[in-house]
Amino acid sequence: MRKLWLVGALVLLCFATFPLWGSAYFVGRIVTPALCLGVIALSLSLLAGYGGMVSLAQMTLAGLAGYGYGYLTSTLGQPWWIGVLGGLTVATLAALAFGLIAVRSTGIYFLMITVALGMVVYALANQNRSIFGGHTGILGIRAPELFGHSLGERTLFYYFCLTIGLVTYGFVRYLAGTPFGLALQALRDNPRRLSTLGYNVALHRVTAFTVAGFLAGIGGLLLVWYNGAISPTTIDLTRLINILVIAVIGGLAYAEGAFLGALVFVLVTNFASSFTQRFNTLIGLTFLAIVLFSPEGLSGIVLRLWSLLRRTLLARLAPSRHAGF
Amino acid sequence: MSWPQFVTVTLNGLTLAALYFIVAIGFTLIFGVLRVVNLAHGSLYLFGGYLGWSVADRTGSWVLGAFAALLVTALAGLVLQLGLLQRIHGQELREALVTIGVSIVAADLMLARWGGFTYDFSPPKVITGGLRIPLLDVGYPRYRLFVLAFAIVLGLVVWFVLARTRLGIIVRAAIDDRDMVAAVGIDVQRLFALMFAIGAGLAGLAGVIGGSVLSISSGEDARYLLASLIVVIVGGMGSLPGTAVAAVLVALVEQYSLALFPTYAAIVSFLLMVVVLALRPQGLFGRPA
Repeated sequence: MRKLWLVGALVLLCFATFPLWGSAYFVGRIVTPALCLGVIALSLSLLAGYGGMVSLAQMTLAGLAGYGYGYLTSTLGQPWWIGVLGGLTVATLAALAFGLIAVRSTGIYFLMITVALGMVVYALANQNRSIFGGHTGILGIRAPELFGHSLGERTLFYYFCLTIGLVTYGFVRYLAGTPFGLALQALRDNPRRLSTLGYNVALHRVTAFTVAGFLAGIGGLLLVWYNGAISPTTIDLTRLINILVIAVIGGLAYAEGAFLGALVFVLVTNFASSFTQRFNTLIGLTFLAIVLFSPEGLSGIVLRLWSLLRRTLLARLAPSRHAGF
Repeated sequence: MSWPQFVTVTLNGLTLAALYFIVAIGFTLIFGVLRVVNLAHGSLYLFGGYLGWSVADRTGSWVLGAFAALLVTALAGLVLQLGLLQRIHGQELREALVTIGVSIVAADLMLARWGGFTYDFSPPKVITGGLRIPLLDVGYPRYRLFVLAFAIVLGLVVWFVLARTRLGIIVRAAIDDRDMVAAVGIDVQRLFALMFAIGAGLAGLAGVIGGSVLSISSGEDARYLLASLIVVIVGGMGSLPGTAVAAVLVALVEQYSLALFPTYAAIVSFLLMVVVLALRPQGLFGRPA
């Protein structure tokens, strides 16, 4: 376990020093959007990995936060902090409402209801001009300015996203260890037993969905600052599914998987397009392969390789100490 | 609302309901028997539409296009079931994820083949043009009435097959209790493959029939997937009468609200779904899980 920590520290060091040695393109166009999408996918990992609820509405909630921020700052001209508060409130309240609607269904029913909810918000955003800006959406959305620096500056925004990514990741890992998180995992494994023990299953589900909505909202704010605009395309069916694709490729059961998946996803969409136009086919096939052959995702593959490597190394180097591990 | 307007909106609602029914019936059959949420259903609709258009364009026959769409999408459904879904049967969520993966690949490949253009069908002369409806005294496109008639016939055929034939008995039994059907010695894998082929074929046929109402273009897959989802959620997942009633309900509500308050029409069908879910989570005709 200590070695895994070491690897984590190395990865962190890599990311922290990345703008010093990585190309500007990689910093600004690959890792930064991957972090934004990673936070949104993380909200799905929390729901699916710990709570057993696979939601397709996470991008919708993120988009609602973006719309809230855009409407308040760009359309109404309010300062950025009102936009941030408003955006997060909208995402969280919408998540609460979605949770209340979908709470009584599980598994594929939950999936169907969340996708229907997500697509209705898409239809609403497409039709409503006064708030959502109709088909064009809201343009000219600016990131907050702190101490005379715009968060939109490339390196600064990178570090900001990295910090938010780390904080949200830490939060999800922390939450998993709290009584609430433990109850959530128990609920995933056996809801009936948990309700016999006196836990309010519906309440836990709705709470988890609301918390995940808040996280998705944070990711949505990052994404809208990155894009500088928001339109219904941001929350169309393809984008809703993309978040699921990211989380599944990374490994739905792992919080790290959200970011790993996002990085792979952004890399593939950026670089596959240079040798083939059909990069979506490539992504779809990767997704299919992972669903069919490695349900644990890339995180699962990495962990399996890691333990294989460790076992071989230990067997080679210190056969006598093998029992100790 | 004036009288002719009311009649037109009602007829629009009924013909849209007919279309929703044709699309959603395949979704319901697949879900009812296999418990697979086929999120590639919209892709099958779009594929059927494109394919039907191409065949109709080459041969000049709309009917031939519709048949080709039916057959080829049924085949595609068969391949999907036998090639991908059968091996993970029973793992509902994984099956849904597989259909999502298929829909991603399908959408991209269809975009590569047919591009982002809009395709218009030209149905046979007999069912195009306008018609003055005698008693109601309003003019109405003949084709939309054909869709309505087709849906009614399809509904009757499905009802007859389910109520009166051996296959129908097996299907109804499978919807109620799959394990029992397998236990009495019926080859359920063959039944599943057949149901998937029929459901997929109906989606493809709906692509030609629905595409001829307006047109067919990329993005229609998402629209009809949503329609199928809402209809099936409202009607009760896996229930055939539920699908018919919900298709009428959803389409009428949609058309009336489109006529009365156009901006918020999308929310109204959503509210309908929320109300149904709040009062009866299993849908109007669904049985409690």
